[in-house]
Amino acid sequence: MEASFRQLGWRRLVMLGGLLLALLASLLLDLQAGPADLSLGQILAALWDSEQLDLRHRIILFDVRLPDALIALAVGAALGLSGLETQTVLNNPLASPYTLGVSAFAAFGAGLAIVFMPTLPGIGHTLMLPLLALLFALLCGGLVLLFSRLTGGARESVVLFGMALFFLGTALTSALQYVGDTEAVDQIVFWTIGDLTKAGWPEVIAVSLCFALVLPFSLRHVWVLTLLRAGEAQAQSLGLDLNRIRLWVLLRVSVLCAFAVCFVGAIGFVGLIGPHIARILLGEDHRYLVPGAALCGALILSLASFLSKALLPGVIIPVGIITSLVGVPIFLALIVGQKRRV
Amino acid sequence: MSVFEVNNINVFYGRTQRLFGVDLPPLQSGDVLGLLGANAAGKSTLMRTLAGQQDFRGGTIRFAGQELQRHRARHWLAGVGFMPQTPPQESALRPFELLWSAARALGVTLSDQALTQRIEALLARLGLAERAMAPLYSLSGGKRQLVGLALALIRDPQLMLLDEPTSALDLHWRMVVLDLVQERVQAQQGIAIAALHDLDLAARYCTQLVMLEQGRVVAAGPVAEVLNPANIARVFKVEAQVEIGPMGYPRVQVLNAIRHPG
Repeated sequence: MEASFRQLGWRRLVMLGGLLLALLASLLLDLQAGPADLSLGQILAALWDSEQLDLRHRIILFDVRLPDALIALAVGAALGLSGLETQTVLNNPLASPYTLGVSAFAAFGAGLAIVFMPTLPGIGHTLMLPLLALLFALLCGGLVLLFSRLTGGARESVVLFGMALFFLGTALTSALQYVGDTEAVDQIVFWTIGDLTKAGWPEVIAVSLCFALVLPFSLRHVWVLTLLRAGEAQAQSLGLDLNRIRLWVLLRVSVLCAFAVCFVGAIGFVGLIGPHIARILLGEDHRYLVPGAALCGALILSLASFLSKALLPGVIIPVGIITSLVGVPIFLALIVGQKRRV
Repeated sequence: MSVFEVNNINVFYGRTQRLFGVDLPPLQSGDVLGLLGANAAGKSTLMRTLAGQQDFRGGTIRFAGQELQRHRARHWLAGVGFMPQTPPQESALRPFELLWSAARALGVTLSDQALTQRIEALLARLGLAERAMAPLYSLSGGKRQLVGLALALIRDPQLMLLDEPTSALDLHWRMVVLDLVQERVQAQQGIAIAALHDLDLAARYCTQLVMLEQGRVVAAGPVAEVLNPANIARVFKVEAQVEIGPMGYPRVQVLNAIRHPG
């Protein structure tokens, strides 16, 4: 028994290593895609020593492509991790920050900032947008938590409640578009679809930092998260305080997800599908699943970023459209497959 | 010396009262108490209350000198192995992984080697050695119930609370489970309380019985006193004879259902 337990651990570590390699490959693929003809060799050489490129290509690589490619990794990892934790603590495979409305609420918060341009003393307009997005994401997380506590954590109804919040967030954002001027509407549309191309280095650093700060908390919780996969009754019977666990997890998930989407918009389905791919590859042991879900999220978004540049030559499709087009069929497959197991 | 005392427990779900002043006979170490009763008699509610997961009013629950206080249920549960009625759900988790993670999540202070030994022994004893690394969704309901028992025993508890531990098991595994419970109770001077549906098994393995009806204790005491035709008729609405079987345990022969009970 123990030998095969250990062997399984090794297999999963190898799998994590494989995911990491795939991620690096996808990062290079993403960096190389685009209208300016930069070859893979040139990129690798320039990453080693930036003087290898002429100024124009250097600007393209370091100020445009690299931040776009890296924010895809950071946001993808953040969404993958927050999706996994949401699914585990709500014990529902269809839960994710996107399907629970957290992203839609964040988009509404961003829309408020765009349309009304509020300011607070000491906080400029550029900071108000992520701040409001964060605030509304937290509000949505809080509502989900409150509902799950009031209903005693009934797993199906929490997701339905989340759907209702998603619709509410979307409707409120539409209302904003109705009152906003043309420029504001353009910005909001970018926001609700999700687009990586407007991010720069500060955004990359902010999202990465947030992820790096949250990850240790998730890693400290891996045993409890794994135990939760046996079901609520079992976890409770062993003395785990489910309400407290849910509170902490949903709090950090809301913060992480808010940071992830507040710069690039409400990119859908990465947080839903990333964890499921990780589960198929790595099983349910959260020691491997927590890093695995982050890696899978990053990989998906990085590949989507590559596709968004490669599908139509000369045109960059907003990445949120790609993730949704790929995500919806997988989401449906999950609903059908859910009948068979948890 | 009595070790486990339960006196005058009242439980409310909202405004509806579910348990009415429940007293259990004082239990000594080595005792196995069987909780009997029809469906919805309050067995599971009592089990959850004893496990510290359900608020109660008035009364006291005391084990080995320690009193159960609701806000310190986690502390209480550290010495108690509670097996709820619901078995582990059908996830892709594997029994060995589950037990390992549970032990680590609960801060069981065992070295990796000692923990491995404990898990392997538990799984082997419950006939799960072959399926230790099989995903839970591939196991039958009975096997998952056995995994649930292993989970409840992972902390090596002194007090075992088992809510219908044998409901999904076939005859062979029912005996194995109750043998294991009896053995542990005797070996470590512990106490077990099990809600059971099978009267013959209860008569064979329990030292004390309690019959519940609509949230009230209607009979409590040694098996021979409680298991009689009058009590069985009252609680289960069946006419029955109780005789001593060839192994020396009381055996219940159900004759027929009482058509117009009460």
